[in-house]
Amino acid sequence: MKRFINDFKKHYKYSIYSAKSELKSEIANSHLSWLWWILDPLLFMLVYTFISVIVFRTSEPYFPVFVFIGLSSWKFFEKTVKQSVKLVSANSAIVSKVYLPKHILIFVKMYANGFKMAVSYVLVAIMMAIYRVPLSLNIVYIIPIFVTLIMFTFGVSTIMLHFGVFVEDLSNVINVLLKLVFYMSGIFYSISNRVKEPYGSILLNFNPVALFLNDLRLSMIYCEAPHRKLLLMWFLVSCAMSAIGIRIIYKYENSYVKVM
Amino acid sequence: MENNIVIDVKDLKIRYRSLNKISVRKSLLSLRKSKIDIYEAVRGITFQVPKGEIMGIVGKNGSGKSTLLRAIAGVFSPDEGEINLHGNSVSLLSIGVGFQKRLTGRENIYLSGMLLGFSEEAINQKLDEIIEFSELGNFIDKPVRTYSSGMYSKLAFSITAILETEIILIDEVLSVGDSKFKKKSYKKMQQLITNEDRTVIIVSHNNDTLNKLCNSILWLHEGKIKMQGKPKEVLEAYEEFMS
Repeated sequence: MKRFINDFKKHYKYSIYSAKSELKSEIANSHLSWLWWILDPLLFMLVYTFISVIVFRTSEPYFPVFVFIGLSSWKFFEKTVKQSVKLVSANSAIVSKVYLPKHILIFVKMYANGFKMAVSYVLVAIMMAIYRVPLSLNIVYIIPIFVTLIMFTFGVSTIMLHFGVFVEDLSNVINVLLKLVFYMSGIFYSISNRVKEPYGSILLNFNPVALFLNDLRLSMIYCEAPHRKLLLMWFLVSCAMSAIGIRIIYKYENSYVKVM
Repeated sequence: MENNIVIDVKDLKIRYRSLNKISVRKSLLSLRKSKIDIYEAVRGITFQVPKGEIMGIVGKNGSGKSTLLRAIAGVFSPDEGEINLHGNSVSLLSIGVGFQKRLTGRENIYLSGMLLGFSEEAINQKLDEIIEFSELGNFIDKPVRTYSSGMYSKLAFSITAILETEIILIDEVLSVGDSKFKKKSYKKMQQLITNEDRTVIIVSHNNDTLNKLCNSILWLHEGKIKMQGKPKEVLEAYEEFMS
């Protein structure tokens, strides 16, 4: 733990700078440059709204906002986890030249993806204003929910980073799994309204991502309090996962280079 | 005397387990752990490098030179034995340092510098010197992917040579650039020799270079030290052995 904090302090500046330059390099060669950070979630939101409203004729109150919240948070989770699987081999040039605690690389990705999520949440706020979504004090709950989401993402990513080094085709498996979780998380439909019991509660209780999205919407759009006990439980589980992940990484990170 | 030792390697052993990448299918099929192939690249090495020394390492391919350098750089920890750098900062320079290809040279200087543990201010101070030394001119603000391989190595060399880590490890990089830049890097290396604070370890197959630059030579053979001493003696013996 002490080592973790020391490493974090030592490499904090690097990870921020690296995340910044990554964002910069992503947009450096595109014509619309930073507009993509806004366009990307916006267009996807339109696609899913089209599918659900026009094709499946299902809708929820404030549907575009509903989809947008789900999509932005999901993208953060999905991208970070996906990138973690290939993280060490993607950074082989760095990893084989200097010692860098490998989870710092996850931080870099989380900062970059987190920034994009923040941008799309600004859009969420704007849309909430346009749709005149009623607000209540329950909106404060989004802070613990985000903390839990971030912890959970980090926990999953550390473990993915470790196994991604040794198992070549893990990324294929993860891609399929993530797709499955995507459809089970209710990005563009409401689990509690559309999924028959008991499956709805099973999804909400055992799929943390579904829970996070559902609770974010509860506190942001529907003026309700989230599932506090479940959230706390997932927060503790995420902490445990991160601790295990970090421990594994510290133990094996020196052999990562030898595998490549 | 004790205080002057900057690199202290004791009975160092490094093994490569054949931790090959496996597929999910394979790992499911062979639930029992298969026999692990162990290859020992460095087999018990003990040596010390005093401050300010320029040491060369020679040996045929696969004798463990690069492994040793990487271990000293801290990229991987020893399986047995220990390496003590007495708290000195260290940087490993080898062909094709990890640059982000889509970023400009300038941004890559910052990234590499920070990876080596320098603060932004420290890099700011040295920035001009690095750019000047690398001879890149306007290219410094162009993405690294547009660089030629020579420019790439020149930039890598400049970053390590100008940012002053106490220990510099060089892996086969002195032959970068055109003849003019080569001369310049020789000069820089010689300057480093006169700088008593800097310790350098060079791995090279170019015996002339080593003869000119180094104070001592370490000859590795199949993971063990075969000979260590004055450049002339060791290099002569090595040349005889190789022919």
